Amino acid sequence: MFDAITDALRKRTDLLGWTLRQVTRRGSQLYAVPGAVESVRDVTEDRYVIDVLRDTTVPGGPPSAGAGNVTPLPGADIDAAIDAASLHAGLVHNPPYGLPGPASLPGVPLLDEALCGDMAGALAAAHRRLVDAVTGEAGVRLAAAEFFAEEKSVRLRNSRGIDATQRGTSLELEWVLLARNGRAISDRSGGDRSSGDEVESYVQMRRRRLADLHLREVAAERAGWARDLLAAQAPPHHAGPVILAGSALAEFMDCGVIQNLGSAAAKFAKSSTWELGEPVFREPVRGDPLTVWANRQAPYGAASDLFDAEGIPSQRLLLIDDNRLAAFSAGQRHAAYLRIPATGEFGVIEVAPGRTAAADLRQGDLVEIAAFSSFEADDVTGDFASEIRLGYTVTGRRRVPFKGGLLIGNYLSALADATWSRETDFHGTYLGPAAVRFQSLTVAP
Amino acid sequence: MTQFGLPPGMARLRSHLGVIVSGMERAVPYAAALLSERGGLAIRVDSREERIEELPRTAGTVLTAYDGRTLHEAGVGGFDLGPVERAAVSLVKPLSPVAGPAIDPGPERVGDFVTPMEVPPASLSTQEKLDRCRDVQSRLRRMDGRVINAVVSYREMTEISAFANRTADLAQQVQRVGMNLSAFVEGPDGVRYNYALYGGTGGWELLDISDEELAKLVGVAIELLAAQRIEPGEYTIVAAPWVTGTLVHESFGHGVETDMFLKERARASEHVGQRIGSPLVNIWDDPSYPRGFGSYFFDDEGMLAGPTQIVEDGIFRRGITDLYSATALGLPRTANGRRQDYTRKAYARMTNTAFARGATPVSELFSRVEDGIYLEMWYSGMEDPKGWGIQVTCHYGHEIRHGRVTEKIYAPVGITGYVPDVLASVSGVGDEWGLDTGSCGKGHKEWVRVSAGGPHLLMKARLG
Repeated sequence: MFDAITDALRKRTDLLGWTLRQVTRRGSQLYAVPGAVESVRDVTEDRYVIDVLRDTTVPGGPPSAGAGNVTPLPGADIDAAIDAASLHAGLVHNPPYGLPGPASLPGVPLLDEALCGDMAGALAAAHRRLVDAVTGEAGVRLAAAEFFAEEKSVRLRNSRGIDATQRGTSLELEWVLLARNGRAISDRSGGDRSSGDEVESYVQMRRRRLADLHLREVAAERAGWARDLLAAQAPPHHAGPVILAGSALAEFMDCGVIQNLGSAAAKFAKSSTWELGEPVFREPVRGDPLTVWANRQAPYGAASDLFDAEGIPSQRLLLIDDNRLAAFSAGQRHAAYLRIPATGEFGVIEVAPGRTAAADLRQGDLVEIAAFSSFEADDVTGDFASEIRLGYTVTGRRRVPFKGGLLIGNYLSALADATWSRETDFHGTYLGPAAVRFQSLTVAP
Repeated sequence: MTQFGLPPGMARLRSHLGVIVSGMERAVPYAAALLSERGGLAIRVDSREERIEELPRTAGTVLTAYDGRTLHEAGVGGFDLGPVERAAVSLVKPLSPVAGPAIDPGPERVGDFVTPMEVPPASLSTQEKLDRCRDVQSRLRRMDGRVINAVVSYREMTEISAFANRTADLAQQVQRVGMNLSAFVEGPDGVRYNYALYGGTGGWELLDISDEELAKLVGVAIELLAAQRIEPGEYTIVAAPWVTGTLVHESFGHGVETDMFLKERARASEHVGQRIGSPLVNIWDDPSYPRGFGSYFFDDEGMLAGPTQIVEDGIFRRGITDLYSATALGLPRTANGRRQDYTRKAYARMTNTAFARGATPVSELFSRVEDGIYLEMWYSGMEDPKGWGIQVTCHYGHEIRHGRVTEKIYAPVGITGYVPDVLASVSGVGDEWGLDTGSCGKGHKEWVRVSAGGPHLLMKARLG
């Protein structure tokens, strides 16, 4: 069908250009509940996505172009599908832009061969490893666990001569540890558990290969959190240093503020006021300088690729260099509109490491946040008020866990007064310092 | 039976589903098949550019085989008989019945259903839809000279499905439309924006937006240029219908999805029949609610849609179920088994979830507030069914002084607290009522269309 669609597109005289993608997915899924496997699933998908570009200039008017797309189902009338996309493209009159041409593709590892063979077996084995890891942890038990594995291949061809293929694997995991204070009772699966206050520690992971899951280490960390939650106190009033580390820092950096304000699309739409070569902060920078890459070449990065949906080769784009905007991440259209290079989709957010040991960031009285309910910041203003699932009030060597309350601040103001650790970490869509100390944020009960 | 015209491939395969299901049931005690096609159209018009895009389209078949313990499923792309027949054979080949709770296939039910519409999207050309979006965008942009960009995002979403098990032969076409409006303004401290959401199941009759609504949207965006951060603390609040809905959605919506009971992740499972809030608290979920954005005729597991009273006069009555958790826990089923698409499993999910209308005039609610905050528009929310924590972030809130809403505005405003405390504090329920439109994830994935809503509520909450 790929060649048949290509032939049909090549015959069209009404199109400025076209892109065809064949996306093939093969996946396995495993869902476990206490004492049972609820569901196992195998999934296949093969679809074709056609994007077309038309010249929509009206006589006497300025040059204009329009784009349209269609996903014909197997057996569909190909010409009719292209007609539908072309019709949509013909209705809009945007400034013209072109399609990317052929270019060499980088070598970015995306595929876990260990996952490609017996995918269902690999998931079952990973589940057993998780069960074993949790069994070794005192005072906790595994509640739900969901394991998704997928092998995805994309073939992309366009009217300018790109004909490229990429293949990658992905893993998505969610699992929950429960811990409980109180006397032992029998649970539904025949094991013992306790009545009284029960808490959960929720884990979400997105990776490309099994070797990056580190289930035993993550299970140990989250088991500790679950036990700490049992002793958690009410949230403090705090205005001052706040530490984020590990998955909480990854969630903070992946929340979308930099991704939005650093995008050519937001710049063109006027929702970003960032300017090339200018500071990204309104206030003076009191902490470490900020350097950020939009990195689609991070090995086994969950958002890495060889080329994006337009066919733009991946790169490690220096987005913010020493607090100044070095580039916008730009798709083909908005790159043309802003007259800047097309860089493609954003990818993994990578932050330059600092010079301070993580242990030294934790000096003095402060609050450390281990987990948010879900970190959300307004991606235009950067303001946030996010609930804390687990934090620690740190006074000297004393760490007292707390639950609840809000972390309040502004994303960019926080980054302007931040000290980054020299140790680095990788969390699928975040690559960079393992910890950061924000000098002035508010925690409110 | 109403024939609404299933896509040809789906119609052909539907006629074979009975044989396929009965074939699988020779090996396992329960089998079912779902055909699902989802797609639609998006139009975006802003001050700089326009876009018309087909929404990501999925089309495939789910074969389900239950061996007494586990739901084994195959998700097969497309509706070709050969691959589906082969997948059915492969699915049940390694299976044999094991002891476990039996799945009730339900009563005999046959029917084809289609969303009633006054102005079906299919009755308008794409050009006409684009022109209507342009008209709204133009009106929005012209509301104030300080608007630097006005954005209209229109979506029409069509979900066509057919379900079969040994007692059911059902098909439906559900049509949803939505329009999101945003106005961006710029001041000395940066860009601010405000937004509004419209839509439901139905057609363009749901998208009649007045100049007064547009003026209010832009007016708040301009007010936000002077927004302050609120001093954290406990406040008397009046929650507008959409904020009420978000509170309900995150607390006794997600918190009563019974797959979370099975996973021992929901504290509500220990409180069935118990008081969880003020006697003024009444909460329901209803996929059959007319025009609700989360409405449908049957769920992805073949259960015909109907209402569920979740909380009645402050007492938690029952949760909302999917097939597996209802079977495992011995609960009556509700029509809440939903999938993101054919590539995903079904979970217990909300549809249209709301706090019931009260009888107190809204003006009277405000008159009871000496010093408080009026929260009108939500921005995001996150569930915590185990800890019963609340995280709802509101786009903004206005000060209430001496019973009147003032021009003083705070943004954003986070609501936090403990669910039973917040629900126990409800002291007034207004007589105006509304549902919003939105998408809901399970954790951070599994997106489905939902609505949430209710009346104005007078209550106390911690803000920050």
